[in-house]
Amino acid sequence: MAKRETPLLDQLESGPWPSFVTDIKRQAETKPECWDILGILELSYKDRITHWKHGGIVGVFGYGGGIVGRYADVPEQFPGVEHFHTVRVAQPASKYYSTENLRGLMKLWEKYGSGMTNFHGSTGDIILLGTRTENLEPFFWDLTHDMNQDLGGSGSNLRTPANCLGMSRCEWSCYDTEECCHSLTMKYQDEIHRPAFPYKFKFKFSGCPNDCVASIARSDISVIGTWRDAIRIDQAAVKEYVAGNYPANGGAHSGRDWGKFDINKEVINLCPTNCMWMEGSELKIDDKECTRCMHCINVMPRALRPGVDKGASICVGAKAPILDGAQFATLVVPFIKVEKENEFEELTEFIEKVWDWWMEVGKNRERVGETMQRVGLPTFLSVMGIDAIPQHVKEPRSNPYIFWKEEEVEGGFERDINEFRAKHKA
Amino acid sequence: MGYNPDKPMDGRISDLGPPHYEKFFPPVIKANKGKWLWHEITQPGVLLHKSETGDEVYTVRVGSPRLVSVEYIREVCDIADKHCDGFLRFTTRNNIEFMVDSKAKVQPLLDTLASYGNRYPVGGTGAGVTNIVHTQGWVHCHTPATDASGVVKAVMDELFDYFTSMTLPAQVRIALACCLNMCGAVHASDIAILGIHRKPPMIDHNRISGVCELPLAIASCPLGAVKPAKAEVNGKEIKTVKVTVERCMFCGNCYTMCPAMPLADPEGDGIAILVGGKVSNRISAPKFSKLVIPFLPNTTPRWPETVAAVKKILVAYAADARKYERLGEWAERIGWEKFFEKCDIPFTDKSIDDYRLAYDTWRTTTQFKFTSHIK
Amino acid sequence: MPTIEHNGKSFEVDEDGFLLKGDDFNQDWVDYVKGVEGITEMTDEHNKVIDALQEYYKKNGIAPMVRILSKTTGFPLKRIYELFPSGPGKGACKMAGLPKPTGCV
Repeated sequence: MAKRETPLLDQLESGPWPSFVTDIKRQAETKPECWDILGILELSYKDRITHWKHGGIVGVFGYGGGIVGRYADVPEQFPGVEHFHTVRVAQPASKYYSTENLRGLMKLWEKYGSGMTNFHGSTGDIILLGTRTENLEPFFWDLTHDMNQDLGGSGSNLRTPANCLGMSRCEWSCYDTEECCHSLTMKYQDEIHRPAFPYKFKFKFSGCPNDCVASIARSDISVIGTWRDAIRIDQAAVKEYVAGNYPANGGAHSGRDWGKFDINKEVINLCPTNCMWMEGSELKIDDKECTRCMHCINVMPRALRPGVDKGASICVGAKAPILDGAQFATLVVPFIKVEKENEFEELTEFIEKVWDWWMEVGKNRERVGETMQRVGLPTFLSVMGIDAIPQHVKEPRSNPYIFWKEEEVEGGFERDINEFRAKHKA
Repeated sequence: MGYNPDKPMDGRISDLGPPHYEKFFPPVIKANKGKWLWHEITQPGVLLHKSETGDEVYTVRVGSPRLVSVEYIREVCDIADKHCDGFLRFTTRNNIEFMVDSKAKVQPLLDTLASYGNRYPVGGTGAGVTNIVHTQGWVHCHTPATDASGVVKAVMDELFDYFTSMTLPAQVRIALACCLNMCGAVHASDIAILGIHRKPPMIDHNRISGVCELPLAIASCPLGAVKPAKAEVNGKEIKTVKVTVERCMFCGNCYTMCPAMPLADPEGDGIAILVGGKVSNRISAPKFSKLVIPFLPNTTPRWPETVAAVKKILVAYAADARKYERLGEWAERIGWEKFFEKCDIPFTDKSIDDYRLAYDTWRTTTQFKFTSHIK
Repeated sequence: MPTIEHNGKSFEVDEDGFLLKGDDFNQDWVDYVKGVEGITEMTDEHNKVIDALQEYYKKNGIAPMVRILSKTTGFPLKRIYELFPSGPGKGACKMAGLPKPTGCV
């Protein structure tokens, strides 16, 4: 593969942010096909349009997903990227790696692929970017036999689950997001690798309401850590914050002079439920009123911690706008325990109930949130065997158009018009 | 031995799943999981976590372009081998985190990172701009309306000082999706850069029969703009589709379902800017991003219009918002009419919703502010 | 686009080996796909899946969702993967001469 002239892309080599163009050029020294990546991208910069063909369906035997097929629409010009399939490799929970593992993966990708990657894809997988069809099975053989690793998901399946780093390095995590994510990923390998759903389905696990994996915005089942007892307060540390000895918000605002820390202005008055106050030098919280938004804890991490009776809220049905508009996940189960001891039984029972229903009634390419919208939240709750509670809504409905069921109305729906007319002339 | 194409199913291993996460924990993480007490950002890009055991872990966060080479990952491994016992991690926002177990080890690590020039910028913590999460764009995707990596590079070059400092009222999360499919889930970001199409699909009658399941193409349109039709190809009548152009809102879903309906176009495609979304439940509930700039052109290679727009919004927010206020909370407090004025962004009818549930966003009160918009 | 020659017949296919013209489908095509999709011997079960796909496609103009294919054939998804190692979309639809499945990856 010859070196390519890339005058437009070259302009992305300057500036303080690390340049992917410089990086691809460096890789091209040992993997000359990278020149064709730059070449086809340069052509897109010139033409201002993509040069990849629609679709592509390739993979390995036994799996229905995990590899995204891609072909260049100018293969004669750039034979090095004629086939440019993406391989999704399932990432370890929390995305910790040993260098030994990464070096092993890189050796494989140098052998079978273009030498370019994404660390990571939006859903969380390791993305190995660009290979030929004939390399897929040999790559997969080595990945499974030599690395003991596996592909992630694509298509109408359970997408590779993802989690925030949780208890491994965060003091706020209300359950073990890593163990939960890993266990469920292992339990549902078949659902990940052999698409059988109406459309894609995502799980994401966040340890607290800060929701660092954005689960409430993009997962069909969003598991967000929370607690149901009192916020733990260290009054001595509160005094340190008030005295200005500890930096507010863990030092997150230290680049600008915001003035002396003011607990009233920065914590108490910003509390969305107004459930905090000072009594002398002691901070008081009316925990029954608290909605666990995390603000006070975020601002004073050395003084305040989530309670000890911890679990998670389950929200269902988030998705990006395609097609009827974006949806956040709706709170369905306010609190459950999420515990390894019973193999996350409460959670998996819930998940499988959602699947059983959605696989039966979901239309082709309908996310579960859209199915919920179509049938209505009351119907979804009743299918799930969950009693309606005020926590399920922001506010009660403002229209009176209730779908009364016949059995809810005294005497049912059947009436005799003649009996009616006997008393009411037309 | 390796893969044998003559016996493809022999010796096949499947459904292994990912490696167990614990194998990859640095020792200090393994010893202190679940025992962390508090954390502090000691300087931009450096986090300290303190454990109840007395242990400490210092994390140095580094921005990466996400689109990275085998050589790059090996270099990252060299750094982790030298300073971090051979372990590292990636964040959900494409940053790399190098962890060491004592304060004394931080500066040597920073020095090593600095020795690579601008390849490993340290930052992305606290009240600043962290790395942009983004999609594939022209590097790999078949439906994009813009590039991803190039736009991100140009924007991050301009916002670099916000990555390496913590001077904003709160964190600002920027995300880019190269089409409305939004693989990047940008719809809940402080600033969303979104590739959009503006020309309806063309119909490739010559090709549609073999490659397209017509009922799927018809059902793919949320507005019923794709309808069954007939066309003549080589003297033969074939079944195909037509598009009612007035009903098209350029989502591109028909092309996703039917390869014979391409809609990308150099002039038609470009970028829309949406702002004020967030994911966290902190203070206010999660919010969607709102469309404030309907279209900016794909001016390669550095998208100056998009870069300038993002910068302008960020500067106005930085100057006016209160401490802890996210961009969307600021816009809601001052009112969206003030947002447009303060950011010097012209308001157009394109920002008024006329799609589903549009009425929810129309103003049904006499409470408003007299801004320059009222003539 | 590439052309496949098999048993003296030629078939126009796309990069992924799907028939470009559904009308080209015949037993030689089945025999060809059998070879490339890792199927040792065609059985009644294979034919049942192929027939079900073609029948559904003729009636509805689309390929059935996986769940419906399982229901009409009575084969659990696991069995379909045993019959067609590439799976229902990549393997069975290809053999049945249906258009390449599209949709979100």
